Amino acid sequence: MNLMTLQRYKNELIVFISLLFVLFAYLYKLSAYSYVKENKAKIEQQISEINTIVNLKKEWDDKTLTKKVKVLKTVVASSKVKSFTKRSKKLTASYISLTANELNKVTNKLINMPVQITSLTIKESSKNKYSMEFTCKW
Amino acid sequence: MEKRDNRLFIHRDMEPVVLNHSVEIILTPQFYTFIRESLDVKFTYQAKQIAASLFDDYLDTSKEYQYHVYKCENEWCFFAYNIDEIDQFLESRGIEKHRVSKIYFAQQLSSELEEPIELNEKNILQTIDGTVTIIPSRFMESNLSYKALNLSELKLTSGITMGGSLNSFISLKETILLSSIFLILGSIFIVEGNRIKSSISNEDEKLTALLDENPTYTSSMIRKSILEKYRPIDKKERSKRQSIKDISKLLSAKSQLSWLMIKKETIQADIETSNKTISKQVNRNAKAKNFKVINNKLNIKVEKKI
Repeated sequence: MNLMTLQRYKNELIVFISLLFVLFAYLYKLSAYSYVKENKAKIEQQISEINTIVNLKKEWDDKTLTKKVKVLKTVVASSKVKSFTKRSKKLTASYISLTANELNKVTNKLINMPVQITSLTIKESSKNKYSMEFTCKW
Repeated sequence: MEKRDNRLFIHRDMEPVVLNHSVEIILTPQFYTFIRESLDVKFTYQAKQIAASLFDDYLDTSKEYQYHVYKCENEWCFFAYNIDEIDQFLESRGIEKHRVSKIYFAQQLSSELEEPIELNEKNILQTIDGTVTIIPSRFMESNLSYKALNLSELKLTSGITMGGSLNSFISLKETILLSSIFLILGSIFIVEGNRIKSSISNEDEKLTALLDENPTYTSSMIRKSILEKYRPIDKKERSKRQSIKDISKLLSAKSQLSWLMIKKETIQADIETSNKTISKQVNRNAKAKNFKVINNKLNIKVEKKI
């Protein structure tokens, strides 16, 4: 293409170059949009996963639970605690002659503690008296 | 025809030419109408805006004219020309329009043409009262000698381009309009693209901060494995606790718990009710909480999979 032709089609050339500029700018915008669409979802998922892990571990991997579970022994009179065996990260406890209030107390303490309840049995041993057994781990 | 290297005088009686290079053409008054006016305007574009009205009484209204203006001493020199007519004439003389790099007007050589020059045998070109004019040779004295003018040595400014008005499919006005629109649009797209890209910078920073605090969670495999361990625990334990709470809501002075057991994936309870009305009420409430209910007179057994 010689200078002559360039001169001849100068206007078309300017319009063509500016049109190319628009097209490239539009492609840039599209690529930015797809980049964000793809990465935003990924980043948000990563953030959500990490936050979930942090919360789950905080709840179900509480290192202080070994101390905290001791309260289950003192929540009722010691005469009503038939057995209380804590081994490593596992607790087996048995209560007898609990009144309805005492049963509520122990149950509430248990369910408000972030332990995994492996088994739980509550029986009415006599009128308004209950026995309770549970095993939990953490 | 006068040919001086890459510059040509264009007049009606010129001979056809063969060109293989670009030329600058100088139009003789046969191809333009010239007016010199003293106007109170400062800029060329202002003068150009009123050019058409100045030529109202001089031009054929059936044709479309282009205008060229420049400042000559203390006045404005206006030219009206019909580019189509010039183009047709040039083609008839073998000059392709893309060969024309610049167009000048003979009027621009008014000082050089104070002495006449010979265009061809029939015509001469001379400045008369400040205006360049074509004069038939027969009106001149027979023994008059003509000046030799070397066009290529002349300094000419304020020329116009053929491309600006005829060669292009798109006019200069349209070019400016279109390219301005495209440039604005393009700039908007780029700004928008940058804005879109920066919209995830907050999330990116948040993630970086989280990973700095918990570097072990960088790997998606580790995250997946931890989630697979804790999510079922969380789900089951919440379900167990919710079921215990639901069963406790079924209890009252007239409906008492006689047995409750959580084992493996099931929670079961026996509730003793004092009469049929309470029994029905407990039954209805238990079902509302999605318990499987077995009625045995006043004894109600509820069960749910965890």
